Amino acid sequence: MSGARGLSPNRREFLQVSAAATGGVLVALYLPAPGAAGAAAAGADASFSPHALLRIDPDGTVTILAKNPEMGQGVKTALPMLIAEELEADWSRVRVEQAGLIPELGGQGSGGSDNIRSEWDSHRRLGASARQLLIAAAAQRWNAPAAECHAQRGEVIHRPSGRKLGFGALAAAAAALPPAAEEAPLKSPSEFSLIGTRVPGVDNEAIVTGRPLFGLDQKLPGMLYAAIEKSPVFGAGIERMDDAAALAVKGVRKVVAIDRLPNPTFRMPGVAVVADSTWAALKGRKALKVSWGQTGFEDESSDSLRRQCEELAARPGKRIVDQGDVDAALAGAAQVVEATYEVPFLAHAALEPINCIADARGDRCTIRGPLQMPTWGATVVAESIGIPKENVSIRIARIGGGFGRRLLSDYAAEAAFVSKAVGAPVQVVWSREDDLQHDYYRPAGRHFVRAGLDQDGRVVAWHHRLAGVSRNTFRLREPPEGTELYGLFGAAEPERLFQHDSIPVRIANLRVEFHEVKTGVPTGAWRAPAHNANAFVLDSMLDELALAGQRDPLELRRELYGRSSDFNYTGADPTPYDPARLLGVMDRVAEKSGWGRPLPEGRGRGIAVHYTFGAYAAHVAEVTVDRQGKLTVDRIVVAVDCGIVVNRSGTEAQIEGGTLDGLGAALYGEMPIERGRAAKSNYHEYPLLRMREAPRLEIHLVDSAQRPTGLGEIALPPVAPAVANAIFAATRRRIRRLPIRGQFT
Amino acid sequence: MATFQLQVNGKAHRVEADPDTPLLWVLRDALGLTGTKYGCGMALCGACTVHIDERAARACVTRIDSLKPESRVTTIEGLSLDGQHPLQQAWIAEDVPQCGYCQAGQIMSAAVLLAEKPHPTDAEIDAAMSGNLCRCGTYVRIRRAIHRAAGARS
Repeated sequence: MSGARGLSPNRREFLQVSAAATGGVLVALYLPAPGAAGAAAAGADASFSPHALLRIDPDGTVTILAKNPEMGQGVKTALPMLIAEELEADWSRVRVEQAGLIPELGGQGSGGSDNIRSEWDSHRRLGASARQLLIAAAAQRWNAPAAECHAQRGEVIHRPSGRKLGFGALAAAAAALPPAAEEAPLKSPSEFSLIGTRVPGVDNEAIVTGRPLFGLDQKLPGMLYAAIEKSPVFGAGIERMDDAAALAVKGVRKVVAIDRLPNPTFRMPGVAVVADSTWAALKGRKALKVSWGQTGFEDESSDSLRRQCEELAARPGKRIVDQGDVDAALAGAAQVVEATYEVPFLAHAALEPINCIADARGDRCTIRGPLQMPTWGATVVAESIGIPKENVSIRIARIGGGFGRRLLSDYAAEAAFVSKAVGAPVQVVWSREDDLQHDYYRPAGRHFVRAGLDQDGRVVAWHHRLAGVSRNTFRLREPPEGTELYGLFGAAEPERLFQHDSIPVRIANLRVEFHEVKTGVPTGAWRAPAHNANAFVLDSMLDELALAGQRDPLELRRELYGRSSDFNYTGADPTPYDPARLLGVMDRVAEKSGWGRPLPEGRGRGIAVHYTFGAYAAHVAEVTVDRQGKLTVDRIVVAVDCGIVVNRSGTEAQIEGGTLDGLGAALYGEMPIERGRAAKSNYHEYPLLRMREAPRLEIHLVDSAQRPTGLGEIALPPVAPAVANAIFAATRRRIRRLPIRGQFT
Repeated sequence: MATFQLQVNGKAHRVEADPDTPLLWVLRDALGLTGTKYGCGMALCGACTVHIDERAARACVTRIDSLKPESRVTTIEGLSLDGQHPLQQAWIAEDVPQCGYCQAGQIMSAAVLLAEKPHPTDAEIDAAMSGNLCRCGTYVRIRRAIHRAAGARS
């Protein structure tokens, strides 16, 4: 892909998925809605729809489709805001609907904190083009120069005469105009009237009154329900099956064997019990008798994986970054600090269990469900039942929590397969146990770090050896380390700067090595992939080094991060990494948290700083550990620089949510493996953070005129190290393994 | 299969169901009231919280045959006629929902809390609401919204 070099790999990975699924077109700027021209020609519709995402009706209602799926990250509100801002629509007259899969849009999906970043220009241009046509239509009506007219809050105004016409009254005339030859001018940020304000979520009323928005709430006439039994040892195929007892359960219609697809992220083997109701399907499934084949991973456990990491780490791994002479620098260092950090597998555990509806008929299939990546979903569904992907239509439901799990469309593939087998619309429903025990987990790994300090406590060498599971390998891609190093320290050479979406540091002798751990455990993206693990290791280790060198942790970081002028980035990203912005959030959070002010005994403060998806975050956590060893997180102060703030309420929500999600994962998140299977089954064993554990949150946004960046993930990675560092400050005990629970009460 | 009579949101219903069917699936599949959510099936997450005779109950572990015919079940769809319950309004005003999936259960739990304690403290809110999970991390705003609703009632 041309121009991709300047993009961070997370973003590049995301775009590649979109492009692979669509043939490479990104976004058409000016795209008539399908069927709109025909309707207008028939005189049936006096509305103005210059683009598939926008329609203005004669009554003045502006309908904007949210291009990409909503999973709580706020894009169903924020993306339409971009269009409405430039359109000069009256937001109170804007109706937002979720777009289905529209192939002409060239790729739809929510992932990689990418929506606002990707659509910032395209959506504003779309709104501006439409505004220009409405102004032209009004000018024509008034026989006045367009330059004397402007749009404001749903009206076009002729300044000299004070005449006004609403968008609705202009819709038909605007629809008859040819697209403007010149690109419409965009507002400067100082002219924004909607962007930067607090706009409540467009679905709030529907949510609080219980209207059917989510995938699991959808129904089709004649729809059946399917529950799917899978091998407890991940990925095993069916050896023998006895479905007599299942079929005897009242309401059960059919039992369908599902075979694997070559790519395990597309479809896993299982046995579907199809019934008249969800409850009958769940009961029928319990009555199934299935014996499963062998995978070779029957004896795998968290302990065996840990041993494998230790054995691998005893020898050098694949060198990914190697600058300077690490061995000589460590040998000559005044002090060497050595530490091993461990991160576990994590489940996604979104509140809405995995589900999807499919209606497969002949060589066509309709999908209704909570898919993060509908464009990719069409490809997976097509492969699942052997039809052209163009024949897959998708209606996107609101997603009850994505967190990366629903980037995959395996459950849509299952629904399509089962629907085809039974010849009826089918809703596949995973139980909570299925969701936790057949997830695509955040990869586990162990990090072996050795760092050398000189006599003044400066970091002169950093040797990082990661023995970990590879998500790339699981999804049949190369190279193994390609998905696991995001967020680790990278070399400071311009060509390597963004190779791993890494924080470039001024460490003269830096080596990063990777060992791939073999496993039968399925893996997938989990909010802030790899960053969510690697930030814990880096920011904890920096704290260890500051202590060993008797340095202030902020000063140590300042030295490592350097200045903007240290990094000559020449790539295509319009908002490349800038250490000044990283230091900006660090200094802001230090000031707001009272960094350096003494705390009573048993309390401690810890800091962590991170960069990903173009955004910058710094967290200071304050904890108390009482005499009984009970840990309480009292307060977390966060500073974020995400460029221009689009929706202030949504932005703060993402930071609050990312921070609490990060805290829950740090305290509790772990899926242990025993006998080749997931050892926890429901929320009593796999706890999420509860309200009583939610600390006081203080959020500070940096005022910025820079392009807006991703927000869905940035607030999560710094939480675990900030809390772990605070625990050390309170207790002198270093947390080198997640989760924290079990190490404290 | 057996026939059960139940009153949901002020309406009488007759449903055919296995006696062990959880109220959750009767509401969702038989009555089409999908505002009550399935989250865990074990009364661990609170997404399925409804009111049975004004008391909070987890519909996922409430067997249909455990309901008395005169029991009054209220779901999120029946909490108010038109979304005007102070909690619903406060939820909108504080822009609480992120994904939104758990919020019906959160509101149903909060409604019982406010009925018992019209002006709860933070600690009382935490105690009453800690059976309702939210992975999006909306807890801070839920607390604010409950205080707001409590204020609106006074």
